[in-house]
Amino acid sequence: MGVIVLIVFYGSIIFCVIASSVKIARFASAPLHLKWEYYRGSTAYEAIDWWTKEPPAGAAHKLKSILLDVLFLREYFQRNRSYWFYLYLFHVGTYLLILWHVWLFAASVVVDPDTASRIGLVWGHVSTGLMFVGGLGVLMKRTFDEELALYYPPIHYLKWVLLLVTLLGGFYAVYYHFEDKASELLAYVQTQITFGDLEHKLHPPFASAAHAVLASVWLIYFPFSHILRLFFRYYHELRFDEVPNVPGGPIEARIKMLLGQKVSWSAPHIQKGKTWAEVATQLPQDASKEARK
Amino acid sequence: MGSKRVKVADISKDADKKLLELSRSDLAELPGVDEGDGKKEAFKDLTEKQRESYEHALDGVCAVQIPKPKTKEEEEQLVEKFLAGLSKLLSKEDNWTFYQQLMLTLENCVKCQTCNDACAIYLGSGKQDIYRPTFRSETLRKIVNKYLKKGGKTFAKFRGNDIELNWATIARLAELAYRCTICRRCHTFCPMGVDNGLITHELRKLFSEEMGIAAKELHQSGTVQQLKVGASTGISPLAFEDIIRFMEEEIEEKTGKKIKIPVDKKDADILLVHNSGEYISWLENPAAFAIIFEAVGLSWTLSSEAYGYEATNYGVWYDDVQFSRIALKQIEIARKLNVKKIVVGECGHATKALVVIADRILVDEMNFPRESALPLLEDLVCNGKLKLDPTKNDFPVTLHDPCNMVRLMGIVEPQRRVLRKICPQFREMTPKGVDNYCCGGGSGFAVMSPMNFQDWRVTVSGRMKVKQILDAFSDVTDPDIPKYVCAPCSNCKGQLRDLLAHYALTENQRIYYGGLVELIVNAMPDVKEPFIKWE
Repeated sequence: MGVIVLIVFYGSIIFCVIASSVKIARFASAPLHLKWEYYRGSTAYEAIDWWTKEPPAGAAHKLKSILLDVLFLREYFQRNRSYWFYLYLFHVGTYLLILWHVWLFAASVVVDPDTASRIGLVWGHVSTGLMFVGGLGVLMKRTFDEELALYYPPIHYLKWVLLLVTLLGGFYAVYYHFEDKASELLAYVQTQITFGDLEHKLHPPFASAAHAVLASVWLIYFPFSHILRLFFRYYHELRFDEVPNVPGGPIEARIKMLLGQKVSWSAPHIQKGKTWAEVATQLPQDASKEARK
Repeated sequence: MGSKRVKVADISKDADKKLLELSRSDLAELPGVDEGDGKKEAFKDLTEKQRESYEHALDGVCAVQIPKPKTKEEEEQLVEKFLAGLSKLLSKEDNWTFYQQLMLTLENCVKCQTCNDACAIYLGSGKQDIYRPTFRSETLRKIVNKYLKKGGKTFAKFRGNDIELNWATIARLAELAYRCTICRRCHTFCPMGVDNGLITHELRKLFSEEMGIAAKELHQSGTVQQLKVGASTGISPLAFEDIIRFMEEEIEEKTGKKIKIPVDKKDADILLVHNSGEYISWLENPAAFAIIFEAVGLSWTLSSEAYGYEATNYGVWYDDVQFSRIALKQIEIARKLNVKKIVVGECGHATKALVVIADRILVDEMNFPRESALPLLEDLVCNGKLKLDPTKNDFPVTLHDPCNMVRLMGIVEPQRRVLRKICPQFREMTPKGVDNYCCGGGSGFAVMSPMNFQDWRVTVSGRMKVKQILDAFSDVTDPDIPKYVCAPCSNCKGQLRDLLAHYALTENQRIYYGGLVELIVNAMPDVKEPFIKWE
């Protein structure tokens, strides 16, 4: 049984890393697209000869925008306040719990478990509590609010229930199994990550084994989650694409390559099989005239 | 939300029955406008012959005029074709032009419904389900997930992909692609970066580029005609030259100014390109441009060559191939004339198409400088290059923000600075700027009037704009006071013309519409007679 838990847990970590990398690489390697932005205010296009001006919105502006959106869920706050409240509790809890796990792994290696402070445990409980209340609130909203329930597929309700169970499992493991003692928890984690006691690793206690399995489910889910997808929104060539195409520049080189690709669309006004450059510069009527010559 | 609930899965059912029947009382309220009996249908019904011949089972409106398939086999072939097109949309080779944004939009939606309240059509309709921006996207998403993804049919309902792909679904989806103006206000509301307007665009593209199905006004009488004759209005180069001569006479008659409009002048600084609809419906607009440009002595020209006197590019709304063809033709004209840059007149979609979207198809010498006319006008008015008398514009003026130039290009302030300078009674609409509501004529709607579609667009898609206009002038309801809605965009003007007529706002409240340059010329002290005629 312990072997299965080990395989599932470490397998899920490897899967999460590989699948996320593949997804990110696939998205980032998507071809250059037509310029299709929207703007929150004035842009360079308000200037005469705008192409002679410096491209606006530097890295600091982009970072600020991302931080405001991600840390405070700014857009939900502005547009959907009642949903934002629970969603925000859930996200704050998530961020804190992720940081708590980082602390847990780091502290287990660098801190002597016997001298560990209880503050770490309080941090974990508060994070779990925030995430649980937020998650439960979101589940309730998704169930009873007609707008939020609309188009929300059954599988996602299962997801939220599983998430709440995972949080309860984590709390149970820390509070009951490790008797809410930082020293015991850190000592256990230290043994796990340093492979200090293989026998113990192969025969984990039920509480931590169950939590590891549930955590594995989330690691496997992560590459398909909206959390990962949200970052795509801020991908620089999508959300902040203000770099103009200048003659001889890298954008122009990419466009030339794309214009050389074959067109496969089948409608009568399109010369299927020719390249984009040919189709765009030669009208069907011209092509048929040429063919008759 | 509207009282008549429609689920996404319903789109596949009861092929002969409308998904939605609307009465006037279902629509959003328009205070101060008497629309008669609330129990009456919201817009006129199709004739029996039209109902028999064309698909209309979405809401009883016919925008695309798709003939009903005659046999089951024909229906099945169309379904196959749709699926083939959908696969191409999801291929980065076939659809490189929008692949990345489409993938993000298909995958990122969390079904929070935040975007719906941004949609002028959804709000105007009294929040009817089928007009939600999410309804269209969710339909497409379910089809993709169920029919194109591996294992999509396994636990389809549990995973939220409860939809059947049949001809009813496709016919309704084709019409649904023409119930959104692609104003993309919903996109700005989405916390996840989902662009429901793009879904509309991509659906229209699939229908056009794979199945040869598109709104006639956009394709046959739009881009096809433009590529054949030179302009989507059908104006030929010869006719254009006649119009210019007539315009010179009109200018002299109205203002006393004898102007020789430069046409095909080589090496000028500016090639000015208008939506050719201006020459037919609002000649005072290009005339005003000519008066202003000549008054300050700019080096400029118009082109009389095919494609050179037409700024429109309807391809931007439905077909990447047609869009590219037209943009290249327009650039070619500027190169031939050896001008320094192209300046696009008061036309939103044309400006956005040529200045921004085409940026990613133009290479080498075709990557030609091009910009909107609004910054230039601001420079002339606000930097004292034109002598102007604001007291000549002492009447209430409000500004309609064309989506394509404002939200989708970020040209927000130049037109405002001009109006603040020359219109003492300028007042903003609410919301304004990048948050504006579409006029309801965007994405080609303003030029589309088949069967009962015009009735739908003035009743439903333009409703929020009417409300905004009435609100903006709520302190000056006196019908003796003329009021001016400034809309620096040809398509928006086309829609405003129909809205003001439908709701009798010119007749009852003396609300007029026009462009920005007309107000500038109206404020010129040496133009003795009012340039704006209030008729």
